[in-house]
Amino acid sequence: MEKMNDKLQNIAKKLLENKEVNLIIGFTKGSNPLRMRSVFITEPNDVSKLSFNAHCVQDLAVFLKKPEVKKFGKIGIVVKGCDEKAVNTLIQEYQLSRDNIKIIGVECRGVVKQNLADKGEDAVKQSTVYDKCLVCEVHTPLLYDELVESDEPAFEINGDIKPYAKIEELDAMSVEDRNMFWQKEFEKCIKCYACRQACPLCYCTRCIVEKNTPQWIETNIEETGNAQWNMIRAYHLSGRCIGCGECERACPVNIPLMLVNEKMARDVFEKFGYKSGIDINAKPVFGTFDANDFNEFIK
Amino acid sequence: MARIGVFVCWCGSNIAGTVDVKKVAEEAAKIPGVVEAVDYKYMCSDPGQNTLRKMIKEKNLTGVVLAACSPHMHENTFRKAAVKEGLNPYFIEIANIREQVSWVHEDKEKATGKAIDLLKMMVEKVKKNKPIEDVRVPLTKKALVIGGGISGIQAALDIANGGVEVILVEKEPSIGGKMIQLDETFPTLDCSSCIMTPKMVEVYQHPNIKLYTYSELEEVSGYIGNFNVKIKKKARSIVEKDCTGCGDCWNICPMHKNVKSEFNVNLSERTAIYVPFPQAVPLIPVIDRSVCLHFKKGGKCQKCYDACGPKCINFDLQDEIIEEKVGAIVAATGYDLMENSLYGEYGYGKFKDVISGLQFERLLSASGPTEGVVKRPSDGKTPETIVFIQCVGSRDPEKGVPYCSKVCCMYTAKHAKLFAHKVHGSQSYVFYIDIRATSKGYEEFVRGTMENEGAIYLRGRVSKIYEDNGKLIVKGADTLSGNQVEIAADMVVLATGVIPKKGSDKMAQMLGISYDKYGFYTESHPKLRPAESSTAGIYLAGMAQGPRDIPESVVSGSAAASKILGLFSKSEYEVEGTIASVNKTTCVGCFYCKRVCAYSAISKEEIKDRNGNVLKVVANVNSGLCAGCGACVNACFSKSIDLKGYLDEQIFAEIKSLAV
Repeated sequence: MEKMNDKLQNIAKKLLENKEVNLIIGFTKGSNPLRMRSVFITEPNDVSKLSFNAHCVQDLAVFLKKPEVKKFGKIGIVVKGCDEKAVNTLIQEYQLSRDNIKIIGVECRGVVKQNLADKGEDAVKQSTVYDKCLVCEVHTPLLYDELVESDEPAFEINGDIKPYAKIEELDAMSVEDRNMFWQKEFEKCIKCYACRQACPLCYCTRCIVEKNTPQWIETNIEETGNAQWNMIRAYHLSGRCIGCGECERACPVNIPLMLVNEKMARDVFEKFGYKSGIDINAKPVFGTFDANDFNEFIK
Repeated sequence: MARIGVFVCWCGSNIAGTVDVKKVAEEAAKIPGVVEAVDYKYMCSDPGQNTLRKMIKEKNLTGVVLAACSPHMHENTFRKAAVKEGLNPYFIEIANIREQVSWVHEDKEKATGKAIDLLKMMVEKVKKNKPIEDVRVPLTKKALVIGGGISGIQAALDIANGGVEVILVEKEPSIGGKMIQLDETFPTLDCSSCIMTPKMVEVYQHPNIKLYTYSELEEVSGYIGNFNVKIKKKARSIVEKDCTGCGDCWNICPMHKNVKSEFNVNLSERTAIYVPFPQAVPLIPVIDRSVCLHFKKGGKCQKCYDACGPKCINFDLQDEIIEEKVGAIVAATGYDLMENSLYGEYGYGKFKDVISGLQFERLLSASGPTEGVVKRPSDGKTPETIVFIQCVGSRDPEKGVPYCSKVCCMYTAKHAKLFAHKVHGSQSYVFYIDIRATSKGYEEFVRGTMENEGAIYLRGRVSKIYEDNGKLIVKGADTLSGNQVEIAADMVVLATGVIPKKGSDKMAQMLGISYDKYGFYTESHPKLRPAESSTAGIYLAGMAQGPRDIPESVVSGSAAASKILGLFSKSEYEVEGTIASVNKTTCVGCFYCKRVCAYSAISKEEIKDRNGNVLKVVANVNSGLCAGCGACVNACFSKSIDLKGYLDEQIFAEIKSLAV
């Protein structure tokens, strides 16, 4: 880990000193040794604060949408493979210019579930990491300007733990039972919108839920409005969500939001052969109009 | 406070037969905001419209809802009536209780209930209506015609004769298209070049037509009234203004045996510096740089340059990009013939005397390689027996195309007839599936070929052709007699199917017009708007739309021209005001709207502060291009786009009106 941190700090220092960036967003140690928090560095002398380990759970790309961060202009960001896909999507959706971002990719072996870390878990194993790490295809980020290689070995996957197992279970249910399941989950929602705030891709300055002429989504905490909010958010992320899991982690009432997002992602791949966050030049699946589409309704 | 008038139309018994119109009107009167609700037998009639106008005036209405037929039918009628009473036309709403209710339901009670619901929705909608002004777009009164075949020429001449400037772009070195390659034309047997060349010359000399031959369209942007086009004028290697067309250059060119003539469909050779045919317009040669020795051998040969009196040959000329601004475009890009090689059993390409219909045209033509004497390509002998095979590629979903190429029945009958005229005592056999001869004089023409010229028509397909002792043995079926037939022929002519010009799909994409799965351009409406493409300001003509004959191509060229002259007769173009508009405060510039817009109507707009710094980039709708389809509204995550006339608030009010 020390080797990684040295390299990370050197890269950051160089970028700041050469004025290639004005701000670096990265991870630093928190007061709890098994919790890492975000840090914003503008001075080359401060780079020693930068650190990376298996507790760097947060998707720092969420900060890229914030005006107070944007005003720095050229920004460097420390990202894991999954978070980097959010950067790609932000570029793809014109929220970020490739010229204004230096991607410091970190090779990641998986991050430890925070509820376990809070109880002292420090080991990266298939039983301790998030489901997203078990299905991860981007341990090395797809796009980067600088890369910090991992000096840890990959953990073993023997198939004992099935990631997102609940999806198959839900698929097998009758429509009524499935509805009942989600009704119960959404009942818990308190409309705090933490899911939205934690999401790197929820960058609208006026969210649809805040539109009140007309008020499409009821804002009171009742069954209809709760379901409306969660489903519309799922639709707005279908073909876009990059699976960082921040919404679910931010949810104070533990709604399993990643089941919806992962299911949507699987459906989009199955039906359109599209995966989000892979290519900054790709046409987003639901923003594609193609004159070659052989659909009569288009012609 | 809203003051809504409701009119329930009977449409005779069309609506009143299935819907209790009295009850609908009674229920409508109870809706808050409705000041009066009446039913009337025919709202679209003069007295019906007068009832409407009277009520608008007397009751001082702020909105009107008609429960009647589809808005496609009479929305305009009622809007015009409303305007006469000073009401904004977009305050007229129609609940379609005919197509959507009376024509599709039987149960009167339920149908009446549905009619009331639809009416309620519209009343709630009209309460939220806002006045909409139609959009006016300035017009550049200049037209671009793409393609110098007969339909493009006709369009260009008609527009030019209407007093409007035209730019005609032709890919080949000469205009004339496919028609100039034909010999005599059915059913009147007038010589194609005799009727075509005067038109070509007229184009060349017309003061309103600017002709670019050997040129291709490179880029198109803009919208109706305001297209910007880039035309690539390929390097001709000739200084056009100095050339006299004397022919000294192509007569001396040493490359006269190696290059197949495109104009004669490979039946003769041409030189490297050439005019495609003697009557070419313009009569200015072009150097084919892919074969010219000067370009291939590093400048050694310059015989043409030496021979040229006015010294107008310039080997250094480069492609040129010309930019033009036009208000309307005609796409008349024409057609190609299918590859005959798809049909190996016919031996095209293997046997020299199996030729295509277009090649036979060249053999018949006085300007052709044989000067109009029918000779076999293999040994130059005059054939005595010719077998014609129809539907080669056409009506064959397996190997070719499922559609009918439309002209082959007629030109085959013509071929057989002309062959009989030219070679006395000869015999034609025609294998056909059906004979399609449906225009004026066509049936008589085909009959004449059968009865007067003695052509033998065999209904059936050919299974195999092989060579035997200088003859082509054609084996096929005569399904009417049920016999297998075998004919020893001197020549076989294939009536090859018609396909869109190569690259027509790319052209359509460049123009932003739609095309079908074959690549033919699709009309805005197949029956009622046959000259218009799906994009405003772009019109269609000729075979580029689908198989058709010369008269139809001429008509379509004229139709496109008349549409353009009509468009240009006004000072500005009016677009319906029901278009999208962006809330630039809430737009975050993700441009999903831009991605889904089929009309390229959305562009990026920079919002700047007073010092010129870009604060953000947002979507901007070009009102000239927007067709009001609403795709962008759907795509917008933050609901920052609204469609005038179909505002979110209106849709929401409609839905809410149904909540119990």
